[in-house]
Amino acid sequence: MTAPLVLAHLYPRRMNIYGDIGNLLALRRRLEWRNLPVRVVAIDEGDRFEFEEADIVVAGGGEDASQLAIAADLVERGPAIHRAVAAGVAFLTVCGTYQLFGRRFVTADGAEIPGIGVFGAETRGGGTRMIGNVVVSTPWGDLVGFENHSGRTRLDPTQQSLGKVRRGKGNDGESGEEGAITGNCLGTYLHGSVLPKNPALADDLIRRALVRRTGAPAALTPLDDTIEREAAAAAAERP
Amino acid sequence: MLRLRCAVALARLTRSISRLFGRGGTALPGLVALRIDPGAIEKLVAGLREGVVVVTGTNGKTTTAKMIREMFTASGRRVLANRTGSNLARGLAAELAGAWRRGRIAADLAVFEIDEAAVRHLGPRLRPRVIVVTNLARDQLDRYGELVTTAGHVAAAVAASGTAVLSADDPMVAKLAADHNGPVAWFGAVPEIRAAMPDDRALHGVTASTPVGRIDALLTGVVAAGDGAAITVVVDGREVSVTLQVPGVYNGYNAAAALLAVARLGLDPVAAGSALATMAPAFGRGQVVDYRGRRVKVVLVKNPSGLNQAIRLLCDDPVARRVLIAINDSIADGRDVSWLWDASVESLAQTPHSFGAGGVRAADMALRFKYAGVEAWSEADGRIALDRLVDAAAPGDTVYLVPTYTAMLGFLELLLPGRSRDEVWS
Repeated sequence: MTAPLVLAHLYPRRMNIYGDIGNLLALRRRLEWRNLPVRVVAIDEGDRFEFEEADIVVAGGGEDASQLAIAADLVERGPAIHRAVAAGVAFLTVCGTYQLFGRRFVTADGAEIPGIGVFGAETRGGGTRMIGNVVVSTPWGDLVGFENHSGRTRLDPTQQSLGKVRRGKGNDGESGEEGAITGNCLGTYLHGSVLPKNPALADDLIRRALVRRTGAPAALTPLDDTIEREAAAAAAERP
Repeated sequence: MLRLRCAVALARLTRSISRLFGRGGTALPGLVALRIDPGAIEKLVAGLREGVVVVTGTNGKTTTAKMIREMFTASGRRVLANRTGSNLARGLAAELAGAWRRGRIAADLAVFEIDEAAVRHLGPRLRPRVIVVTNLARDQLDRYGELVTTAGHVAAAVAASGTAVLSADDPMVAKLAADHNGPVAWFGAVPEIRAAMPDDRALHGVTASTPVGRIDALLTGVVAAGDGAAITVVVDGREVSVTLQVPGVYNGYNAAAALLAVARLGLDPVAAGSALATMAPAFGRGQVVDYRGRRVKVVLVKNPSGLNQAIRLLCDDPVARRVLIAINDSIADGRDVSWLWDASVESLAQTPHSFGAGGVRAADMALRFKYAGVEAWSEADGRIALDRLVDAAAPGDTVYLVPTYTAMLGFLELLLPGRSRDEVWS
């Protein structure tokens, strides 16, 4: 592979509130440590971008006002994002963008922010915030992160979640589900940032991107993840 | 008046009793005073001849308030202050009741440091003559909530104040001027200095700053000098040059804000500014503590912009130092440590220093170092980490300890055993 993998950061200016930049950094470093060339692209409102040219897209959370500010731009990009998801581009959406990758977000005072419906999910705002460290059982092993959201996300019966909450609240504090996955598009409430602490998930996004690029199974050089495991273990013990 | 006298008397009695039992807390006497006279705070501050100054904002409150206090004290005023951590109503009531002598309050003015959440309710009760807003950056979102919410709290306090002393270089602070009917005084820095001041405005989507014409207190120079910084501030057209004992560009900003506040309250900034030269840093705000023959410089960090300021300080120190960044995640620190990813830890890779990660979340800091390309050791135990920090330094050398709030309290007991918090912070 000669052309660099393209990491796209969607809305770095407005949707980057809980150290979401760490997800981009984790992917970038784990590619660099394996001598895989990488290029990072920032996409803010109004920037032209063809999502199928990206290999991995990451997007984070923002304050309510920021979420409102990007909502219209996201809806406009909706069809392009749907095409990219169908084409197998890997996405990691966290918190605020995870919510808007569902069909819609209804705020506590009844205002409706339309989403793009990549996930069969709807979010309702309000009630007490769900705050704290979270542990989720998933196909990637236990994922550890921190959640801080008042939105309650309900998945359609056909929508697959990322995993089952072992500690914390997850999507809505009731269903026991956390996050969502459609093809190579992942959504989660976990920040912390989530990828540095969960290298298996980071590497799986990289693997999915390489498979799409080369059309062949990808074997990644193993890395020493001792510090990553220690950080995840420490977080899992904290309230 | 009788009710107030009763409130004060019982508050003082409560304090004496709790001291008798070895408790130094300020909460209980204040609680007693407010229970007897819920209007005690308003009535007591009304007796202050020169009124109240409130300092709020994300970072720099403690140092800025201390600067204002010292300048007024040097000018012969009797100044009342609240101690760090006692900025709730009951803490203020206790401080005010404690200053009561023979039927009146024995102070000329009060300088209160009040956090951004509490200031919404305390501002209108204190009716400050001057309110200083140092800066507004995101801070412990799990505690304070969103930044726009915080800005709303501060705006409510500004509306209840006389003169607002605002940063022209912080767009979130500058926006507060639009909602204030009273006079606004601006502090800021020349572009070269402003560029060196890390901020995270891009992270909350604020790009255009509010246009501000005249800067009443302009920071025109900051040069590292010993453990502190030699600064020049032009206040109302007059130059104040002083060598601070506190370091960094951010303390240059704090000094500009403090000088402007005292100028608006009638002090001559040139004369008052000389008092800043002898002001020792507040604990954890660049203070140097001798520990096993080494000089431990303690720089408290609470949020990404504070950590960026500390990083800037380390980048400006050309001598190879040993540095320990210690992260706790108690409620007072913020449970969520994801803010570590928002600070530009990457800049430290270019410095000659060597690093360690400490605190309850040492592993998270170690992870942040790893992805920043900075080599670091990791040790969660405070005593072992502190020894490891100083052991490799030669006697007399300076090392940096960069802790979060509760990590700092832990280190305080190791660095200054037997000294109470109040003693260290007074």
